[in-house]
Amino acid sequence: MSKVLIVDDSVYMRTLIKTALTDKGYEIVGEAADGETAINLALELNPDLITLDNILPDMMGLEILKVLKEEGVTSKVIMVSAVGQQTVVNKGKELGASEYIVKPFTAEALIEVVNKVL
Amino acid sequence: MLNNLKENEIEVATKLINGGLSMAKSSMEQILQSPITLKKVDFGIDKEEVSKFRSDADNVNLIKTELMGELKGSCFLVFSESDVEKINRACLPAELLDDNSAESKMMILGFLTEIDNMVAAAVITEFANFLGVDIYGNVPSLHVLAQNKVNEFLANETTSFDSVIHFKAIFKGEELDIAPDFIWIFNEKFMDKIKEVL
Repeated sequence: MSKVLIVDDSVYMRTLIKTALTDKGYEIVGEAADGETAINLALELNPDLITLDNILPDMMGLEILKVLKEEGVTSKVIMVSAVGQQTVVNKGKELGASEYIVKPFTAEALIEVVNKVL
Repeated sequence: MLNNLKENEIEVATKLINGGLSMAKSSMEQILQSPITLKKVDFGIDKEEVSKFRSDADNVNLIKTELMGELKGSCFLVFSESDVEKINRACLPAELLDDNSAESKMMILGFLTEIDNMVAAAVITEFANFLGVDIYGNVPSLHVLAQNKVNEFLANETTSFDSVIHFKAIFKGEELDIAPDFIWIFNEKFMDKIKEVL
């Protein structure tokens, strides 16, 4: 069973993602509402996948990606964000994100991307 | 500012704003799973026009997203209390709405700010891609205000700008019977960027 860390400042979005993934058998090992917690949990839990929001109260998802890369975290990352600008999408991929999904999305679309990445 | 613009610049600005609003409309339809129409779109430069919000509701839920990056501004999505109630009933599970726990309440409020987040981001993405600027919306904040305090709130939002361009739309959801206002203010650099891309 693949282990997933969900990073989003919105408890609503975290619940939505958690429900969609647990329904398909993924194990949610942690949730973070800010960047600092996300980095700490990623290092501690070493999840197979991180779903990462781009706009967080303390830092940008892109910055988190950079830190994770520097720290040698090998988890796959899917950026999950309302920001769909091409430059941000490209930068996310440059920094190691496997996929980028733009909100709003359906549970089916999310699962399709997760299945593709894992 | 607008009166200094050439006809083609005004045309591009209008197209861009309409394009952004159209993306926002699609986003809102997707979130609410219900058809939405853009009832009215106004835009202008008079700061005082920004604070001419009218509502029959006693209280409104105003969600603010501050624009960060190369352009400064803010957007506001304003729902009456009855709009919020209808949206929640239509989109959230009954067990969540009937649960009085703090976590459920957070989830319900979070849903409203998430709507704003996605709708605002749709416009921001359209503008960023067209104007070639690096802009994004900050984490949205929810303000529950008495109806008669909204204009004061909006007027305060324009004080840090020497001049503004603003636009306002009303989304109309016939099936859900909602009509939130969607108000944007930008500083004048917005028009400078439009001139640059022409």
